[in-house]
Amino acid sequence: MMNRKNRIRSPQRGLSHAPSPAAGSFKKIFGSVMLVLTAGCISGIFMALPALAAPDIPPGFDSGGEKIFNRFTETPLAAMTGTDGTRNLNSFYELRQYPGSPPRIPHSVPFFFRDDTADCLACHGKGGYDARQNTYIPVTPHPENENCLQCHMPRRTDTLFVETDWQSISPPKLGRSQLGGSPPPIPHSLQLREDCIACHTGPGAVAEIRVEHASRGNCRQCHVPMVATEPLSTFQRNNEPGH
Amino acid sequence: MKINRRSFIKTAAASSAMAAAASLFPGISFAGWDQLEGASGMITWQKAPCRFCGTGCGVLVGVSGDRAVAVKGDPNCSVNKGLCCVKGYHSVQALYGKDRITKAKVRKNGAMVEVPIKEALDLIAAKISETIKAHGKDSVAMYGSGQWTIPDGYVASKLFKGCLGTNNVEANARLCMASAVTGFMTSFGIDEPMGCYEDIEHADVMVTWGNNMAEMHPVLFSRMLASRKRKKNVTIIDFATRTTRTSQAADKSILFKPNTDLAVANAICYEIIRNDWVNESFVNDHTTFHKGKTNIGYGTEDHFAFTDKPEDISFEEYKTFLKDYTPEKVEKISGVSAKDIKYLASLYGDPAKKVTSFWCMGMNQHVRGTWINNLVYNIHLLTGKISTPGNSPFSLTGQPSACGTVREVGTLTHKLPHGVVTNEQDRQLAAKIWDVPVTNIDPKPTYHTVEMFRALDRGDIRFMWIQVTNPMITMPNLTRYRNGALKDDRFVVVSDVYPTPTTEVADVILPAAMWIEQEGMFGNSERRTQHFDQIVPPPGEAMSDTWQIIEVARRLGFTKQFPWSEEEYIGKIWEEYRLFHDNPKHNMAPYTVLKERAGVQWPFVNGKETRWRFNPKYDPACKPGTDFDFYGKKDGKAWIWARPYEPAAESPDAEYNFWLNTGRVIEHWHTGSMTRRVPILHQAMPESYVEINPEDAMDLGVVNGEKVKIISRRGSVTMKASINGRGVPPRGMVFVPFFDESYKINEVTLDAFCPISKQPDYKKCAVRLEKA
Repeated sequence: MMNRKNRIRSPQRGLSHAPSPAAGSFKKIFGSVMLVLTAGCISGIFMALPALAAPDIPPGFDSGGEKIFNRFTETPLAAMTGTDGTRNLNSFYELRQYPGSPPRIPHSVPFFFRDDTADCLACHGKGGYDARQNTYIPVTPHPENENCLQCHMPRRTDTLFVETDWQSISPPKLGRSQLGGSPPPIPHSLQLREDCIACHTGPGAVAEIRVEHASRGNCRQCHVPMVATEPLSTFQRNNEPGH
Repeated sequence: MKINRRSFIKTAAASSAMAAAASLFPGISFAGWDQLEGASGMITWQKAPCRFCGTGCGVLVGVSGDRAVAVKGDPNCSVNKGLCCVKGYHSVQALYGKDRITKAKVRKNGAMVEVPIKEALDLIAAKISETIKAHGKDSVAMYGSGQWTIPDGYVASKLFKGCLGTNNVEANARLCMASAVTGFMTSFGIDEPMGCYEDIEHADVMVTWGNNMAEMHPVLFSRMLASRKRKKNVTIIDFATRTTRTSQAADKSILFKPNTDLAVANAICYEIIRNDWVNESFVNDHTTFHKGKTNIGYGTEDHFAFTDKPEDISFEEYKTFLKDYTPEKVEKISGVSAKDIKYLASLYGDPAKKVTSFWCMGMNQHVRGTWINNLVYNIHLLTGKISTPGNSPFSLTGQPSACGTVREVGTLTHKLPHGVVTNEQDRQLAAKIWDVPVTNIDPKPTYHTVEMFRALDRGDIRFMWIQVTNPMITMPNLTRYRNGALKDDRFVVVSDVYPTPTTEVADVILPAAMWIEQEGMFGNSERRTQHFDQIVPPPGEAMSDTWQIIEVARRLGFTKQFPWSEEEYIGKIWEEYRLFHDNPKHNMAPYTVLKERAGVQWPFVNGKETRWRFNPKYDPACKPGTDFDFYGKKDGKAWIWARPYEPAAESPDAEYNFWLNTGRVIEHWHTGSMTRRVPILHQAMPESYVEINPEDAMDLGVVNGEKVKIISRRGSVTMKASINGRGVPPRGMVFVPFFDESYKINEVTLDAFCPISKQPDYKKCAVRLEKA
């Protein structure tokens, strides 16, 4: 028997937590994995220090200035620059079955019981750097939908049950400004993708569609949806009564 | 492979951004799908109900040329408001498995040989005539499905019941919905839920009774989670025999021992009465009390028969009956603490709280399925929490048209499109609409599903036509029924879209049009009829199940009853079928309205849908001047039933010491014949497994992924153990998803059923485990 509210009140939810007494096996295993990783990193830094220091020179001179270099060596470049660029349109569409389909989950999800969905939001709610995968985490545009595994599936095998004859249309093309330099329209439906900022800004954004002017919050002031894949119907003026 | 990567890359290169991407990140393949050659890149979107479960989500199917290429949730559909589940989003991929059946096949000298479909249809018609001549009309049978479209089921009923004169039209919905139907009929005298999905947003408390909605009705479950998040004071209680994804999300998860939900429901009623939480005026004005037979058996023997004998009792007698169900006594039976029973009762009893109960297979696939349906209605009736927004005992369905085709069209062996075969007026109405002599319609019901397959085994049935279902996976105690179907002088016709274990026993295989390859209608759990057009053409000689039946009917000489042209038959059939329901309790929307909307709820009266039945504020069929009118019963009163706790047909003992429970997973729908051909779904859930409690696994000496042999008195299956996986059974229970034809778990299950509904119990039988 479980009590959800108790679990949510636990301050140790999310990625970096230690196992809480209320949490079950997944959290225990996951938590201990994280502890081991964290412990490994910390000991790495401190063990390096005596080796670097010359004989007779105590560690910590120059206000412990070695720390800067050690930290620099330890920290992946991506985490320092905020752009690793590994997430791009190719990898984006590789996870999808057609333009607009819910992407599959490209990392392993423990097949343990407690792969519950609040854990998805621990990373995908706000994003940020993930040391395990040395990459920035994409942010979901629809965090209000809590039942993540309703639509998103990890892949547990590369084989198929039966070969498929599935085909779909090409992804929308980018940069379709109507005039040279004019703001491009939005080439996808806004359904479940209403939140431009989630996908188009920040270090986890897909490289090609990441905007450099995110400080201007009113995106749709300049960009309007043009669902490029739908045929345009011709507008007909109708001033008849009743219309 | 139709992919033309060269031309695609050329197109891509035309876009400077894409070209930049390709040069920046070489070596990574483009999109995860093959791209249509020569497509305009344009998509048109057409509405349809989802192909899979009974929720009835509206989808918009994206079409390019003559292919379905994308899906999005239909924002105009009130069921799902634009959100689907992973099966819905990838549903169109189920059309494109490489092994689609596109040609008819006939068994010749033991081997299946492709023939023109006309030849196969000739053979079917000849076999029907020949079999009836040799063995009588009840030796031929049609076994259909809750995935039949409404026209499919309607023409099957018309041909078999109206024209051939046998009631042998049965459907797999017997395996999923029969207890829900008999529950409604015995408590209310009329089938299908009084409420609608809007109850979710109105309810303060939602209780899932043996119902893992997070996986089985995920879109509705998302609505529940969203409501809880928005309103803050909403409570979700998971009441189940096994800990699941629903338990994780619920505010509280309460586990009970198999079959003891009967005792707990009675204990909740006991507490409601003891605490004076009874809505006295509601109970006095709108309910009567009854009891029926007890010790009613389990139906495991051939020719089992049971008829209940209802007797009136008083409220006082009902109270006396409940004395056996104090929370303290029931704690001993059920394993649910008296405290939790009192807590559940307090939620139902609190006059300030609106309470909705949801259930599906946990209560229906139950040797006392009718009873447990009755008992949950009792709780809602005693508290008057029914037929108002948010107060709803809600029986969900598992198939897209279990309600539409099986329950409403009446494709069961005792039913007609309106009423039952035993009722003379109902027979007369059917004969009139069908344009057949009333003497054609046999007043005697024939076999329910389990008995129908027993009759095939015994030889009472010699010809069976199976459409849109896979009984050679889904029948309990499967080995007997597969051997029966394979006997020499049995003739089995199977209409399907992919090869399955059922097509393996067929003498004729007909290629069927699937879902949006034909026009049709489904009916979902909340009385909503959902029309879809033919959106893409069927492959090869594939033909809709409706049209297959029409072709055979005409070959049998019934051209007068099946006069429609291929261009307009669906609309014509709908308008004829609608005549059966021409009254305010059942009225269906006209064809033109169905075509326009993403589903229309019945009763559809004066151009308006009925959202809550039996409540005159919403339901025009109610008597004016009443505050509730349960018009299914002659006196307008719903029945509260004294139904006792009785144990399962087969419980664990010293030799077979585990419960076996079976069910589904979110990725796969039923036997997986469609979903396993969807790449993302198969890749997420490639094979079935057996869930074992971690401590039991330790005792057995198996770790995650090691093989375990599950043995019952009927058969055995060896499969991988899943420990702390998707779900966790309590000690002494194992759970197996049934989608995987490589592990036929129904060779292990027992064909015991509810004696009233005749629905088998797939959730309870005794097994033992061996490390394999």
